[in-house]
Amino acid sequence: MKPGSANRVVVRGALLALALAITIGAFGALDATPKIDRGEIFVPPAEQLRFASFGFDAVLSDYYWLMALQLVGDASKPVEGGSVAKLIDVVTALDPWVGHPYRFAAVWLTDSLENVHAANRLLARGVAYSPLDWRNRHYLGFNHFFYMGENAKAAGILEGALHLPGAPRYLAPLVAKLRTEREGLETARGFLASLVETSADPRTRAEYLKALDEIDTERRARLLDQARSIYKKRHGRDIERVEDLSTGQRPVLRKLPPAHPHFSSFAWEIDPETGDIVSGFYGARYRPYEHIRDKERRQRWLGDAAHVSRES
Amino acid sequence: MLSAIRVAAIASNTVREAVRSRVLYVLLFFAVTLMLFGIVLSSLSYVESERILQDVAMAAMRVFGVAIAIFVGVNLIHKEVDRRTVYTILSKPLTRAEFLFGKFAGLVLTIWLQLAIMVACFMGVSALTGAEVGAGHAAAFVLLGGELALIVAVATLFSSFSTPLLSSFFTAGVWLAGHLTRDLRDVGLRSNSEWVGEAGVWLHRMLPDLQSFNLTIEAVHGLPVTAADVWLPLVYGAAYTTLLLLAATLIFDRRDFR
Repeated sequence: MKPGSANRVVVRGALLALALAITIGAFGALDATPKIDRGEIFVPPAEQLRFASFGFDAVLSDYYWLMALQLVGDASKPVEGGSVAKLIDVVTALDPWVGHPYRFAAVWLTDSLENVHAANRLLARGVAYSPLDWRNRHYLGFNHFFYMGENAKAAGILEGALHLPGAPRYLAPLVAKLRTEREGLETARGFLASLVETSADPRTRAEYLKALDEIDTERRARLLDQARSIYKKRHGRDIERVEDLSTGQRPVLRKLPPAHPHFSSFAWEIDPETGDIVSGFYGARYRPYEHIRDKERRQRWLGDAAHVSRES
Repeated sequence: MLSAIRVAAIASNTVREAVRSRVLYVLLFFAVTLMLFGIVLSSLSYVESERILQDVAMAAMRVFGVAIAIFVGVNLIHKEVDRRTVYTILSKPLTRAEFLFGKFAGLVLTIWLQLAIMVACFMGVSALTGAEVGAGHAAAFVLLGGELALIVAVATLFSSFSTPLLSSFFTAGVWLAGHLTRDLRDVGLRSNSEWVGEAGVWLHRMLPDLQSFNLTIEAVHGLPVTAADVWLPLVYGAAYTTLLLLAATLIFDRRDFR
């Protein structure tokens, strides 16, 4: 070895070790926490992204979809609906033919009326691009009925999904139920009866006939409501049992109608929660089911929205 | 008149020369790696993972296809001039136009060969994950082939008068702008200024409309693709490529190699 070359090797080795140590140290000190975990999600507007995608719209859409999944997949933090809405807006603007992201938005954007509106806008886009997919219409109709109390609008949207491939059989009875509030029982009955006539599938027909039975029962329950109010006027008090309408002194009815068109073993009851006369077979009146908490939340949201609207 | 035999001779030589290029294999390796990485990436989604896989794979094909077209294309003429082999070739009974067309044809063939390898890889990855492949995919691949040929023509035009570095910048710029022209036109038309609107429309007319060659979303979603969606861009691409090559020939004819 030439004189001095050993020194050179030592110096180079030391420099290499030093560079390696600095690299490892600096790397360890880098803040490599994902942006999502740092709460720094920047989602550019969809239009700008489309402009900058240079033909790679599909891949960019996938990137933001995976980001949305990470956002809701973090169990340690509450899901921030606004960010999910922005991300899914971008995903579906870049590739509007995606399927699941629309339903994903419908499921996750339910924490405020504003987000439900955002989900509805996205679902409407889904319906426009995939008109033969019943699921987007289903979620859109559900949002209008469940979160916004717009039953007639929900019925209109759901009706569009009735004859789409894969649509569940319960949709038509639900549409009929939603229509009842605004258009009356007879319209709902006529709607279902026409479906019975045109339906070729025996199982689907059976589903519709079951719904017609429920409507017939509701008709009778409404007759009983009228009888009940006559009873109140006549006796100055309410009935204790439904049978009071046809028994005792000065009965309003000669005989109670059957509580189900086909099953005579069921009787009429007074619902202890609502005080309504209900068929023992169904246990509730013919209207879309709504839990009291859901109703309260909806009223609160709609009240807040009305307040904001008045103030502005 | 161009002699097909002489053009074919130059083209076959170009293919032989191009397949020796290491850049080609490095880029091909990255393209295949990215396609395989698509499997990992798509597994992050609990739904529609086949779509994500195919999106990534198609993007890899486009990016690396264009990269190969640019990096190999811009060196086409420069290498011949640099090595001074151009003197030997052009001293033969061969016109400069035949030389240029031959070079272009050779590189297009090389790139289509690379594309075929990437398509095979795409099919393999799709089969492996059960992702469906249909006629829409075939249409998308054919159009990608058309887009790559047009990019090679752009690279040929720039390399006929410029250095490889500048040519690669210019070609990449045209490729990026080519994917933007529709948006530029739409933005211009929404502007209050009539002048901006006209400029957007003219940009769209002058620059290659490369978005017309992009059927990725249609293929991946199985959306209907009409025959016109394929043949119209191909005719447009062929005509635009011819124009570019004619312009390149005009420049190349006047070029002094001393």
